[in-house]
Amino acid sequence: MAKARGFDIRRQNGFVFVALCCFVMLYLPIILLVVYSFNSGSSIAIWEGFSLKWYALAWQNDKVQDATILSLIIACCASFVATSAAVMAALATTRTNKFRGSALVFAMINQPLMIPEIVTAVALLIFFAMIKVYTGYTGLWYLIIAHSAFCIPFAYMPIRARLQGMDLSLEQAAADLYGTPWRVFRKVTLPQLWPGVLAGAMLAFVISLDDVVITEFVKSAGQDTLPTYMLGQIRRVVTPEVNAISTILLAISVALVIAFYKLSQRTDQSTKK
Amino acid sequence: MIEIAGLSKTFGSGASAFTALKDINVTIQENEFFTLLGPSGCGKTTLLRSIAGFVDPSTGTLTINGEDILSKPPFARPVNTVFQNYALFPHMTVAENIGFGLEMQDRPKAEIKSVVGDMLELVQMTQMADRMTSQISGGQQQRVALARALAPKPEVLLLDEPLSALDFKLRKEMQIELKRLQAETGITFVFVTHDQEEALTMSDRIAVMNAGRILQIGGPKDIYDHPAERFVADFIGDTNFVDGEVKKVAGETAQVQLQSGKVIKARNVAGGATSGPVTVAVRPEHADLSAPGGLIDGTLKNIIYFGTDTHYHVQTDDGSTFVIRRQNQPDAVEAHEVGEKVGVTFNAGVAQILRD
Repeated sequence: MAKARGFDIRRQNGFVFVALCCFVMLYLPIILLVVYSFNSGSSIAIWEGFSLKWYALAWQNDKVQDATILSLIIACCASFVATSAAVMAALATTRTNKFRGSALVFAMINQPLMIPEIVTAVALLIFFAMIKVYTGYTGLWYLIIAHSAFCIPFAYMPIRARLQGMDLSLEQAAADLYGTPWRVFRKVTLPQLWPGVLAGAMLAFVISLDDVVITEFVKSAGQDTLPTYMLGQIRRVVTPEVNAISTILLAISVALVIAFYKLSQRTDQSTKK
Repeated sequence: MIEIAGLSKTFGSGASAFTALKDINVTIQENEFFTLLGPSGCGKTTLLRSIAGFVDPSTGTLTINGEDILSKPPFARPVNTVFQNYALFPHMTVAENIGFGLEMQDRPKAEIKSVVGDMLELVQMTQMADRMTSQISGGQQQRVALARALAPKPEVLLLDEPLSALDFKLRKEMQIELKRLQAETGITFVFVTHDQEEALTMSDRIAVMNAGRILQIGGPKDIYDHPAERFVADFIGDTNFVDGEVKKVAGETAQVQLQSGKVIKARNVAGGATSGPVTVAVRPEHADLSAPGGLIDGTLKNIIYFGTDTHYHVQTDDGSTFVIRRQNQPDAVEAHEVGEKVGVTFNAGVAQILRD
């Protein structure tokens, strides 16, 4: 007897094939990149045997070290500034009465996602050039400010989503129990919001860490972050050192994603009704 | 004492404006168990939230012990709320939840600890002090929400349908529990419910609301025995509505001629019409069956046995249905049968003239 079965996309002709193609397209290049980072030869296309020498070389390379430190400083500062701004923006767009132009404000906060990055980069280049003329300052802050700015929408999204999903009556109960707005935020809103804040900060961190276009335009001479250093390397001679650095970056972002997943699971358990 | 005068609230503006409260005037006494009763959407929760400070009334005044509170934010008002969904803080233990209000008032640590201990005892939750709120049952969450709102000793406790999420048996227990807590603490309770039985059993006074207005305020017995309006009579308990015409008025009683031609003595306490056509309300348990030739005549259409009592549905000669409720006696033989011609009688004074 044939069993009556409902529609299931997994049983459509060619489903498995299309799915496999997509995964292969996505992950084969990355797998190859990781594999060739262990190549003992100096080619990124011809396998010559297993070795960790490119990791050792990258580790000992002063330029890589400097670029890594600079990348981390910028990513930490930018994600902190962007997340703080995003928390305030999210509160202002979810915890206030509907105001005139609130849709416009929402659009403006997310606009950096829509504006072509190259446009932002050129605009920042010109703007910072003007400031440089007047102040003569050529330090790191240009990069931190630029990164903070384009990271805000990435931090804003998960925080806003979390705030919208939160039970408003908890904050009302806290206010009802004599909590002033600031203490309600600190004692009730923030502990509930924490997974959203962490997600936002991690997203901003990763986005800042791998930015090339804006950094390339804004950076002053000698201010190489890891991605711009790699870009510079590729122009000259391509060795598996670039693969090694990429693999480490990949490992860091995978670790961040896993850490966040574990953390949000734990908070969800303690906040679940 | 809460004094509310001329309070109204309109949400939105223009064509989409919705008036949730219309000219509310009420004084709630100290240490009173006061209930706002009405169907959903009648404005009772909006009124409660106006007192708590989560709704900003459009017009009117609201004072507690003579002090205007409308200008104050929620955290500066001497009231605490028990929310419908309890709104317990999920990231705190039972004890931390109960101590939250005191902590926000910056009371000394030792005092918070002792008050929380007292409150845990009051709601019989001492063993659960260190549990997270997700690890306790619905009835226990209800008790914690109550203890949390009572701990700072507010002047007024606001309760927003706090029992609606509990099952029947637990609800009955909590009704008695709430009454006990109110007596023990001496705090004014303002209780919102749509359950007429809950309102009748617990309240000192009830305000019946509909469509943003308070229709009648009075004690449970007063509201039940002397409903002033058709809506009140219909919403609370079962009622027969009989049309008639006022013939003579003498103080609170009036002579009303029914359509059958018979004249009855009806009470007119709520200020109904003193002449012309009126509607009178008669409770089913206040009326009885008789031989044809009663105040109203008709045919017995239905006899329904309910265990404690029996309901007789009489199709009256003018076409409406009149319900009579008789208490059952053990081993009594049913003396009536469907299709029989019967009369309906009731004593002088049980009929109530309704205001239209």
